[in-house]
Amino acid sequence: MKRLLGVALGILTAIGGFVDIGDLVTNAVVGSRFGLSLVWVVAVGVVGICLFANMSGRVAAASGRATFEVIRERLGARAGLANLAASFLINLMTVTAEIGGVALALQLASSVYYLLWIPVAALAVWLVVWRVRFTIMENVTGLLGLTLIIFAVALFLLKPDWGMLAGQLAPAVPEQETVWTYSYYAIALFGAAMTPYEVFFFSSGAVEEGWTVKDLLQERINVLVGFPLGGLLSVAIAACAAVVLLPAGISVTSLSQVVLPVAEGAGKIGLALVLVGIVAATFGAALETTLSSGYTLAQFFGWSWGKFRRPAEAARFHLAMIVCLLVGIAVLATGVDPVLVTEYSVVFSAIALPLTYLPILIVANDPQYMREHVNGRVVNVLGMVYLVIILVASIAAIPLMIVTGAGS
Amino acid sequence: MVLTTPGPGPAGRSTRTGRKHLGGLVLAALALLTGCSGGTSQSVSTALEDSSSAVATARIALRQDMDGKLTRAAASTTLDDELKEIQTSRSTVLKLSPATQEERETQKQALDVLDQCAAGFATARAALAANDGGAPSVSDGDKALAGAQDALKQLEGKVVSP
Amino acid sequence: MTSSPDPLLPAPPVAGRVLDAQLHLLDRQVLDHDGVPVTTVDDLELSGPAVDVEIEPGTAAPVVTALLTGPVLGTRIFGGRPPSSRLIRIPWKDVAEVGVVLRLGISGEPLDAGWVERWVRDKIIARIPGGRHDPR
Repeated sequence: MKRLLGVALGILTAIGGFVDIGDLVTNAVVGSRFGLSLVWVVAVGVVGICLFANMSGRVAAASGRATFEVIRERLGARAGLANLAASFLINLMTVTAEIGGVALALQLASSVYYLLWIPVAALAVWLVVWRVRFTIMENVTGLLGLTLIIFAVALFLLKPDWGMLAGQLAPAVPEQETVWTYSYYAIALFGAAMTPYEVFFFSSGAVEEGWTVKDLLQERINVLVGFPLGGLLSVAIAACAAVVLLPAGISVTSLSQVVLPVAEGAGKIGLALVLVGIVAATFGAALETTLSSGYTLAQFFGWSWGKFRRPAEAARFHLAMIVCLLVGIAVLATGVDPVLVTEYSVVFSAIALPLTYLPILIVANDPQYMREHVNGRVVNVLGMVYLVIILVASIAAIPLMIVTGAGS
Repeated sequence: MVLTTPGPGPAGRSTRTGRKHLGGLVLAALALLTGCSGGTSQSVSTALEDSSSAVATARIALRQDMDGKLTRAAASTTLDDELKEIQTSRSTVLKLSPATQEERETQKQALDVLDQCAAGFATARAALAANDGGAPSVSDGDKALAGAQDALKQLEGKVVSP
Repeated sequence: MTSSPDPLLPAPPVAGRVLDAQLHLLDRQVLDHDGVPVTTVDDLELSGPAVDVEIEPGTAAPVVTALLTGPVLGTRIFGGRPPSSRLIRIPWKDVAEVGVVLRLGISGEPLDAGWVERWVRDKIIARIPGGRHDPR
């Protein structure tokens, strides 16, 4: 019984923790402009994140080392430094976007201006990183994030024309958009699904929680059941936007538009639930990205790291995270639109994907670290296919950004 | 390790032609980019589209407020966000430098319509701020925005069809 | 080159493991004897003949004298060499085990390599309330 509860908890936290501000905004934008014609990208992205999260968890469980520690050892200082620079900067952008997302959701709930919520949100993130135990942090934010299921509930309550929705699933460029914006948003959606920080967080989290080879089955279930269900949540967000916003000619540019379909379908209760869910999911993602910044720096330079250590015993690790949060506050204090930061962060995440995933593929094949848990042939074939997809997306991202004017 | 600088001759020739090809490529890219920026009517059309989306959002929010589906806080936040969108569109149109008389006319009409949108938003926000029974009611705000939406649609039709 | 070099003598037989310094030592994590991370190996200090000096036949082979860490990473990647007095060293004699990670036989507390960590700890982290709180 206890085992079963543990398994359920793992799956539920994986579902609730899947969605972050990037998924919320990008799926809503895509739903409002392209209907469901880009849902196939979510499917591709979910399979990819399952593949690589699984691999990075296996690396951590089999070798006892987190991903970034191994990147420097296997790829050398120069490649590792390039990897660190790119990953860290994009992580920082994502931290900024997530904190902005928390503030925007709190503004929707309270109508207090979001800039006033930003220091509150950042302080709350820091307090949790400073004091709260890792598993408690994961479980609470993951379970609260499950309230985002209200998107699926609201979709049913809206009584959409299911036949028409299903018809939109075919990958086709809608008439008011061009093939360039379609491709650009395909890449953005891909970057939102296959977030690079997930890999660093997952493998470092495995070390934090002391996973061994015995936990691999649990981890595999969490990933293979939880993440696809989380992907379905993303599709529900897009579908809600497609049903309410697309026919009205509305293209999503703010978080308030993301929640309007839920209010339409489920009223004030739905609105309350979705705001709780958004705050929980973005707060959880803010925690994960902040910790990822600390993990990547500490693991590259060999500092002592981990929430399982006293802060005094992992001083540089905690200082790095404090600095990241301060930089995030500073960027948001300039008044830049957090939704805009989010839209850019997902595209830049897509650009950085090859740097983050290639090392994992290399390490997961290295018998010195993995012993008998090296990648099987199927996983390697899938990994190579995804590497090609990731490279194509990464190379096409910047030209498309220029041609489409960042999707406008 | 010591780096030897490439001498003249075959190596130099290939780098020179390589640089010429690269220069041509950069020029072509710049031409493509500047060509993509469109003209006045393109910018006005985009601004009108964005404003149309903002007004439609505001109307949905007001309707949901009247139906009791949306909290006041969320409705007023939505209106604030969409008003910002209208203001951004307005300042974009304002900053345009129209070349022909026709473009100047388009700019003026767009500014008028956007002002009407802003006025509609002012009514709607006042309605939400006034606690029940106050000066403008929420349905008054919705009517003002509906008028602005019609004006936007009319102008969009004129701008898009050249 | 004016004269053809003499053929190389075969390498002398060694007792123990043969390691490749670049593969097995560089960029490896260094843990102290309690398992607490100290740093990564950013560079190695070798004793031996000076640079740009002809090597006399019969000169002893270079020996690894210390692990280096800190700003020397920058010079390793981009070139150059910091002055000897600026190098942060972990003497080779303190290394107890070479495996996937390098283990030291001593505690990391008194080491030069840990001075930044100690400074950040004493001046910043310990001053924030809860800094010494054990999360377990």
